[in-house]
Amino acid sequence: MKDIIRAKCLISSDVEALINQQIKKEAHSSSIYLSMASWCNRNGYDFSSEYFFKQAEEERMHQLKFFKYVLDMGGNAVSPEISNIKGEYNSFREVFEEALEQEISVTQSIKNIAARCHKEQDYVTLEFLNWFFREQREEEYKARRALELFDVIGEEGTGRWQIDKHVGDIKYDSEA
Amino acid sequence: MQELATLSAVDFTEVFSVHAGAIYQSDSENCWYIDFAGKLARFDYRNLLKLKKAVYQIDIEGLLLSSEKAPDLEIIFICACDHCYVLSLVQIIALKELLAGTFVMLELNHIIHDRLHRIVA
Repeated sequence: MKDIIRAKCLISSDVEALINQQIKKEAHSSSIYLSMASWCNRNGYDFSSEYFFKQAEEERMHQLKFFKYVLDMGGNAVSPEISNIKGEYNSFREVFEEALEQEISVTQSIKNIAARCHKEQDYVTLEFLNWFFREQREEEYKARRALELFDVIGEEGTGRWQIDKHVGDIKYDSEA
Repeated sequence: MQELATLSAVDFTEVFSVHAGAIYQSDSENCWYIDFAGKLARFDYRNLLKLKKAVYQIDIEGLLLSSEKAPDLEIIFICACDHCYVLSLVQIIALKELLAGTFVMLELNHIIHDRLHRIVA
């Protein structure tokens, strides 16, 4: 008897379902960043707003990368529904605390997919995920660094103005 | 004279069967035939997955516990597929069992293919 399912699709239905969840997560992330960009802009933090616009675009790019991978492997990529995006924040700092939390959640979720791939010996998807692990190193670094600015500069006086100015300069250029 | 339609050589392999029906695979057509609820229906790869999803989404427990007067009939309609099923709760349970067994068998077939033909020992 022919192995029709394997001939049609490289990834298992479990991995496909996990990646579809990840697609939703990335889309959700992108929307959250857009909401953060809006809040920062409204409150006069223009550099941070720009930073979050860029982050929103990056998350969208990640979403599409996962989306196309599922399709290329013969699976069914599902366009996600996104709701419950928070529009208001209590403070400038809170925005960045939530941004870091968001990135940590994305990293953990990708680690979970990798764990499943190990179990199934799906080395093809594992190799695909490596790019994302590298990307998450950068994302978490940037989010953590932004929060550090609040501690090293301080929010008193013109502190927030200074922090906002420096957020745009955060870069991660590790060769490792 | 009355012409009798004859079936060409059929290469059905039974994948799994339960009391209420069976699923066969056709290697030449790359599809499956589901013999259930009084008909034999052809399903390709995409439609078989859609059928599985549709059946698995039915909340059997909810239907069992429901005290509504509505008849316990479910219509399983699959987009871009020629077939549709109108099933009673008992039939849904049987179809779910049939599909679950089928996917286990297909997975087993995959493992056998891997071990016998694909992986160099």
